[in-house]
Amino acid sequence: MANLERAPRKSFNDLIYDLIFKNYVWQSIFRTGYPNTPRNQMLAVATNVFLHLHPTRIHRTHVKITHTYCLGGLSFFMFLGLTVTGVLLMFYYVPSIERAYQDIQELEANVRFGQLLRNMHRWMAHAMIILVLLHMMRVFYTGAYKPPREFNWVVGVVLFILTLLLSFTGYLLPWDQLAFWAITVGTTMVGSAPVLGDESKFLLLGGFSVGPNALIRFYTLHVIGLPLVISIFMAVHFWRVRRDGGLARPL
Amino acid sequence: MVSRAAAAIRTRPRREREQEVLVWPDLVFIEFISALIFSIALMVLSAMVNAPLLNRADPDTTPNPSKAPWYFLNLQELLLHMEPAWAGVIVPTIALVLLAAIPYWDRDTQGQGVWFGTKFAGRLTVFGFTAATLITSLLIIWDGSLHVVWTENIIRGLGLNSDFSWPGGLDWFRNLRGFDTGIPWESLGFTIGGFTMFEDWRAIPLGIPGTTTDPWLLNLNFPSFLSQQIIPVATMVGLPVAFVVFCKMLGWIQTRRDIALLIFSAFIGVYLTTTIVGTAFRGQGQDLKPPWDIVVLEE
Ligand code: HEM
Repeated sequence: MANLERAPRKSFNDLIYDLIFKNYVWQSIFRTGYPNTPRNQMLAVATNVFLHLHPTRIHRTHVKITHTYCLGGLSFFMFLGLTVTGVLLMFYYVPSIERAYQDIQELEANVRFGQLLRNMHRWMAHAMIILVLLHMMRVFYTGAYKPPREFNWVVGVVLFILTLLLSFTGYLLPWDQLAFWAITVGTTMVGSAPVLGDESKFLLLGGFSVGPNALIRFYTLHVIGLPLVISIFMAVHFWRVRRDGGLARPL
Repeated sequence: MVSRAAAAIRTRPRREREQEVLVWPDLVFIEFISALIFSIALMVLSAMVNAPLLNRADPDTTPNPSKAPWYFLNLQELLLHMEPAWAGVIVPTIALVLLAAIPYWDRDTQGQGVWFGTKFAGRLTVFGFTAATLITSLLIIWDGSLHVVWTENIIRGLGLNSDFSWPGGLDWFRNLRGFDTGIPWESLGFTIGGFTMFEDWRAIPLGIPGTTTDPWLLNLNFPSFLSQQIIPVATMVGLPVAFVVFCKMLGWIQTRRDIALLIFSAFIGVYLTTTIVGTAFRGQGQDLKPPWDIVVLEE
């Protein structure tokens, strides 16, 4: 009978598992092990900084891929990716008309993975615009803007505008012909406004045409001003999704 | 009157806990996988296609064509067909305000949370999108005078008339500006009771001299006003109205949601068409060209 009281021998796998997940350092970071009971899974979502944007439980129709196609989440993911790659780009880039273009050339030629970094930032920016537009279409066609979500739809429209502005301000930074003339064309359109057209254009460019002042303004807006503003609106957007009772579903 | 907050709770569906699943693992897993797929796809794309970098910016050499970033090319496309103030500022502002206003106008809580929630939603979407795409393309072709080129080529090609050219009497139908340049406005004045009315359509006195220096406000150039403002704006207002009336006659429209579906889909059609034309079909001097014929010159 004494046999039964002896602890079963640990397998090799268990030993490795314990070594990785049951040591002092790991447990100081993750206080509990893998959440394998419903109660612990809910706690994991509710108590983790990153996961707590979610509710702990959601309606089963909303986890179907075909309901949201993850488009809002992916827009946000693009924003995160752009922030990471953007910060890395800032290490190499100086927003002056003497250095900007050269910095980009050197980034591409001399920095390890520099070209890849720039490509990622560029293509993610394009992807984000497309994803935001598709997200708007999915919200529209599922009728998810209806009460009580009116205001969150408006927040969404603001997010769309901010996304475009972020991309537009970034477009000037490489200071090549593409950048220069695209911004010239774009700001000329602003200048044609019937009221305050010339004034807005002047404010945006810090002058009458695209030059050093425009570059520093676009840079500042691109790396700090607009990201801050869009983060605030995103926070409100996500909060409202929760406050409005999760995603829309039929009454 | 119930408070908005109370109304917001009331318009929520009842919570059905038995129908709920746990965010961990069900949703977190999907999010993780989709993020992974996107990361890999973007990595692959970035490894294969380089972001463009042209010559250093030079204010003295203008590329022809000069284009805004692709997501503004729909507006740049509009610019070719109307007064810049409309295309660049007023139209987009109105479009965004209307877009934001949709939920304040279509407030019925029925049909939310399901794809294409009304009976005719599918038809309205397909019709709105297709018809708007077609009509926009036709309008662009017309304003690019392609119908003139095509007609001339066909008639010449068939050997009907080897030196046929577009009849002068139809000059007004060459393109939008035809309403300005193709009509003999000079001879359209008339006399009532000894007064000659509209002797000069190109300078109809409006303002009181001395109150403004803006010649446009002093003297209205009616033919140009007609082709650059009245016709474009009437088209942008009239077509959506016509769409709604047409679908109403077919019995497809029963609620505001239906109207919203129709107009939104049409909007997406116009948005896409103008973006694509602006991006891929505009060559030097913003002429209509097939994509393979477009080269950028530096001048
Ligand atoms: C930077 C841009 C945006 C981000 C990161 C974002 C993110 C999200 C996320 C993560 C959700 C949760 C559901 C889902 O993934 O579909 C959501 C829902 C929603 N979004 Fe956005 N969004 C953005 C732009 C927009 C735009 C442009 C609109 C509309 C004009 C919009 C309107 C809404 C509405 C009404 C909901 C609630 C949907 C429902 O209840 O089913 N959002 N958004």
